[in-house]
Amino acid sequence: MVPLENYLVLSAIIFSLGVYGVLARRNAILILMSIELMLNAVSLNFIAFAAYLDPTKITGAIFAVFVITVAAAEVGLALAIVIRLFRNRATSNVDEAAIMKW
Amino acid sequence: MATEVLWWIFAAAIVVLSAGVVFSRSIIHSAIFLIGSLAGVGAMYIFLQMEFLALVQFLIYGGAVTVLILLALMLTRPDAPGHRQSLNGAQMPFALLVAAGLLVVLFAVITDTTWPGADIDALSEVPLTLVSERLFADFGAPFVIASALLLVALIGAIILARQEEGE
Repeated sequence: MVPLENYLVLSAIIFSLGVYGVLARRNAILILMSIELMLNAVSLNFIAFAAYLDPTKITGAIFAVFVITVAAAEVGLALAIVIRLFRNRATSNVDEAAIMKW
Repeated sequence: MATEVLWWIFAAAIVVLSAGVVFSRSIIHSAIFLIGSLAGVGAMYIFLQMEFLALVQFLIYGGAVTVLILLALMLTRPDAPGHRQSLNGAQMPFALLVAAGLLVVLFAVITDTTWPGADIDALSEVPLTLVSERLFADFGAPFVIASALLLVALIGAIILARQEEGE
C-alpha cells in the first residue's frame, strides 16, 4: 500500500519540472508541453486526494475530468495561435514575439 | 508488495520522462517524452483504482493532445537544419531557482503534514456507473458548460489557423 505522501511528492516533482519548463524555455510549443505537465500534476493530486480522503471517492475524479476538458480546449487554441504566429513572423519563440511589450 | 515495487518503477519513469520533456535538446524528443510521462500518470490512476480516468488519460492525452502537439511541431519547424538556436532564454538560472525553491517548499509542507487516511489497507474500486451518475446528475450544468467551452475554443482555433484570402 503506497501512502498518500508518495503521490503528493511525485506530483510536486512533476509540477516543479513544469514550472521550470514554462519559465526557462523559449519555444512556445515547449512552454505548452510544460503547462500540460503542470496540469497533469494537479490532476494526479486531485485523484490521489479523492482516492484516499474522500469517502464518496468521486468528487476529485470529476474535477480531473474538467481539468482534462479545459486542457484539451487550451491546447487546440494555443497551437492555433502558435501556427498563426509562425506564419506571420517565421518564429515560434516567445521572446521574439514581443511586439506588444512596452 | 509487488504493487509497491511496480509503483516505484512507474514513479521513477515518470520523473525521468518529465525531466526529459523540459531538459531535452530536441523539441521532437520532448514531445515523445511527454507521451511517456502522460501515459505514466495514467498508470498512476490505475494504481489509485480510477480505471475510467486512466482510459480518458490514455485516449485524450496519449492520443489526441500529443498528436496535435507533434503536428504543430512539424508545421513550425523550430530548428532549421545546420544551425541550432538556444532553447533556453537568458532567464534560465532564475527559472531553475524558482522551480527548485517551489519543490523544496512543497516537499517540506507535504512531509510535515500528517495526512489522514494513512491507516487504509487497500483502496476500494470506483464503479463506472457511480462516475457517470455524479457527472451527469450532480455536475450536469458544469458538464454542458464545459462542452460548450470546448466547442467554442475549437471553432476559434479553426478560425485562427485558417489560411485567409490574399495571404
